[in-house]
Amino acid sequence: MSDPILSIKNLVKTYPNGVQALKGVSFDVKRGEFLVIIGLSGSGKSTLLRCINRLHDPTSGEIYFEGKDIARAQGEEVRSLRKKVGMIFQHFNLIPRYSVLSNVLMGRLGKIGSLKSIFGFFSTDDKADAHKYLKLVGIAEKEKIRADQLSGGQQQRVAIARALTQGPAILLADEPVASLDPATCHTVMDYLKKVNQELGITVICNLHFLSLVRQYATRVIALKAGQIVYEGVPQDITEEWFEKIYGQGTKEVHIN
Amino acid sequence: MTAYIFRRTFFDSFIFAYLSMVLLVATYQPSPEEMLLLGRNFILFVFAMIIGAVISAGLNKSSKARFHTLGESLFEPAYKKATKNEVSWYKTVSGWQLVIFLSVTFVVGINVTRFSLTELLNEDGFAGAVRLFKGLFSPNFEILPKAVLNIIETIFMAFMATTLAIPFAFVLSFFCARNIMKGPVAYGIYMSLRTFLNFTRAIEALIWAIIFSVWVGIGPFAGMLALMIHSVASLAKQYSEMVETVSEGPIEGIQSTGATKLQTVWFAIVPQVILPYISFTVYRWDINVRMATIIGLVGGGGIGTMLIQYQGQAMWSEVGCIILVIAIVVWAMDQASSVIREALK
Repeated sequence: MSDPILSIKNLVKTYPNGVQALKGVSFDVKRGEFLVIIGLSGSGKSTLLRCINRLHDPTSGEIYFEGKDIARAQGEEVRSLRKKVGMIFQHFNLIPRYSVLSNVLMGRLGKIGSLKSIFGFFSTDDKADAHKYLKLVGIAEKEKIRADQLSGGQQQRVAIARALTQGPAILLADEPVASLDPATCHTVMDYLKKVNQELGITVICNLHFLSLVRQYATRVIALKAGQIVYEGVPQDITEEWFEKIYGQGTKEVHIN
Repeated sequence: MTAYIFRRTFFDSFIFAYLSMVLLVATYQPSPEEMLLLGRNFILFVFAMIIGAVISAGLNKSSKARFHTLGESLFEPAYKKATKNEVSWYKTVSGWQLVIFLSVTFVVGINVTRFSLTELLNEDGFAGAVRLFKGLFSPNFEILPKAVLNIIETIFMAFMATTLAIPFAFVLSFFCARNIMKGPVAYGIYMSLRTFLNFTRAIEALIWAIIFSVWVGIGPFAGMLALMIHSVASLAKQYSEMVETVSEGPIEGIQSTGATKLQTVWFAIVPQVILPYISFTVYRWDINVRMATIIGLVGGGGIGTMLIQYQGQAMWSEVGCIILVIAIVVWAMDQASSVIREALK
């Protein structure tokens, strides 16, 4: 398994309003890595993740996922890509009015027919998987509660369970702890680590805090204004690098 | 940018042409035949519009804001509005333009509507009105049972029209929402559907009732169909505006699982819009009851048809009874729908 699971070559994304979010980004991701992408707001982190699962269309460049270029995939190809790529979001993006279990079952939408899913025909297998992953993120007892009744940290764990129910090879996490308090932050990050280590799922995670990066990442990429300015292991990030990424005169903030 | 210039110029030149035509009619006093020469008068109007456009362009070229026209101050982009100094209206061209436009329109309006105090205070006419009101305020309750049956028919007309409109409006609403219809083909469908629905809505339910009373015969079925067409167009617009305000988050969440377009709409959008949809629908039923009454006047069945029959025979006491029944039902529907809509929030 030395082949990279994901290989990005010279990725460019220019938005219709002329903003160049990514200016030729290239890197590889090996299977089983916990890759963290750091950078300021607006550095292109979110755009990068959204290009990988094609929520955004790249302007140019290639994205090889399991050896196949999916940068210009369309329709059915995009959906089969997304089935293998789970994603969690800063604002959780659950369906507020649905129960926790229903939200987790959404992870199966790609695998069952449109009509079947609309009439709510989820198989016992689907439900068993949903239970399993709810248990894995330690929230099984809340499955009948409406998602909007949960705290932020709990909602993010439901979102993780939803992504796991897809049976993904990669999990994309777009600032998963940015709207959580410091204590909850670690709980959620711990579950992501568990997913990475116990289930062997490759994780690509956007983060703000360097202290979290040191604790969880196996490798780090730093983006600045749409370009990679640092690539390496988290232990090598020095004060000097930190200043380069976040601008002169910044001080590292520790959250614990 | 060009769109704003076009709007400004069209607005200013239209006002200028309108004022010139009024001045022309007032001074030249054309004969009724001459007033009917549509082609010639149209050319005159366009000619006046061209002059107006030149004047508008000239005034707006000035760097001083007080020489700018009404069109400019109305349609200029926000960044220009933000940098403007406050100037008293009587020191500006646009202020006088507005005052002249409004006062001329008022004077013309008095003439066109043949506003006449002598008619209003005419003794014979006034006596007639008193007779009518006397009848209205002494309702004849002998026809009450018939009126009640007829208003029940009206309520069911409104109910069926609303119910049958829901599935059509529901499906159409997603095709009429800008945030769903992305891409050139989808945009084409979106634009043509929107235009079609706007056109349908522009035709009053009253006109639809006349069409259907010829098509399927006078009666509640014609009225119901008329209300239904109008409800589809109105609900589809209201529904689609709701779809356009949904939050993107759940949509991304569902899309990222590999869901199809249909699944995304059903699981990410429908849960966000379902309560407002129900609220709009209840309100539409309420509106339809009121409209059904009016539609009855042109042969749409129900209480309206009954009303026009008694009105035709100048039986004002009977009309009074019918109006009372309508007022009570409309008031009750209005209360009920607002209580239900409040509970749905």
